Amino acid sequence: MYGWVWRHLPGNAWVRALISLVLVLAVVFVLFQYVFPWAEPLLPFNDVTVDEGSGATP
Amino acid sequence: MSPSSHRRRPADAAAAPHDASCDTGRPAGRRSVLAGFLSLLGELLITVGLVLGLFVAYSLWWTNVLADRQASVRGDEIRQQWLAPPAPGPSEPAEPGALDTGGGVGFLHVPAMKNGEVLVKRGTAPDVLNDGVAGYYTEPVKSALPWDASGNFSLAAHRDGHGAKFHNIDKVRDGDAIVFETRDTWYVYKVFAELRQTSKYNVDVISPVPKESGRTAPGRYITLTTCTPVYTSKYRYVVWGELVRTEKVNADRGLPAELR
Repeated sequence: MYGWVWRHLPGNAWVRALISLVLVLAVVFVLFQYVFPWAEPLLPFNDVTVDEGSGATP
Repeated sequence: MSPSSHRRRPADAAAAPHDASCDTGRPAGRRSVLAGFLSLLGELLITVGLVLGLFVAYSLWWTNVLADRQASVRGDEIRQQWLAPPAPGPSEPAEPGALDTGGGVGFLHVPAMKNGEVLVKRGTAPDVLNDGVAGYYTEPVKSALPWDASGNFSLAAHRDGHGAKFHNIDKVRDGDAIVFETRDTWYVYKVFAELRQTSKYNVDVISPVPKESGRTAPGRYITLTTCTPVYTSKYRYVVWGELVRTEKVNADRGLPAELR
């Protein structure tokens, strides 16, 4: 997978490394900005209130 | 994605010599498909591991950065509003409805938690608490407000992530001060009981006369709730205090003795 990406990037090794870095940063950005905020409420790590527990936590 | 990579790799390296012996190429081809599949699986597993690691960083660090930023902006807004000349009428809000509770009602100071001031807003929904504030309960049991004649001012905040405002709740002991600051008044509470672990369905801890706190008569109580143990949401941690005195805020907002 990563080898395939590396072979399909243009330029010499330095250019490819630079593009790879940009791609990695883009992926991290998308994760932090969109994926994790979406996933967090679905995971049971961050409920702090007491409630009656009828179904989903508030 | 991967099939072409498998096709390419032998073609790059040693396709031409092997073309002559087609029958021996067959098991080798199957092996390279298996190897390619395993390497893809390995890369995916590594990727999953990295993403989970990033999620931990997100939860425990990045949400704090965002929430603290958000809370300090809101806090500054509130302080600016307080600086404006007071509205005509009673110096203290007569009823909660008269307040702009969307912005926040005041600041909580718990010296034992060593986390400065915590903005307090209405409600305990995630979108409220995620802004790095403490929220007072509107359900399942409606919280009283500090200026009410009696009742329980019940608050919740995050233990980790999103500002982690009650992270050090386990450092709070009997006799420690909890001070709530409004525009005009310091409400000084004294901690009298802690419940180190209870069920998350135990809503009686935020009743007007909180159960399990040892108190049986109505009074002016404060209740802090958050999750425990740290980094999980399995149980709830509860701290109770009661009002010992109030102090008028003076012109230069000098701190009460408990915060000095």
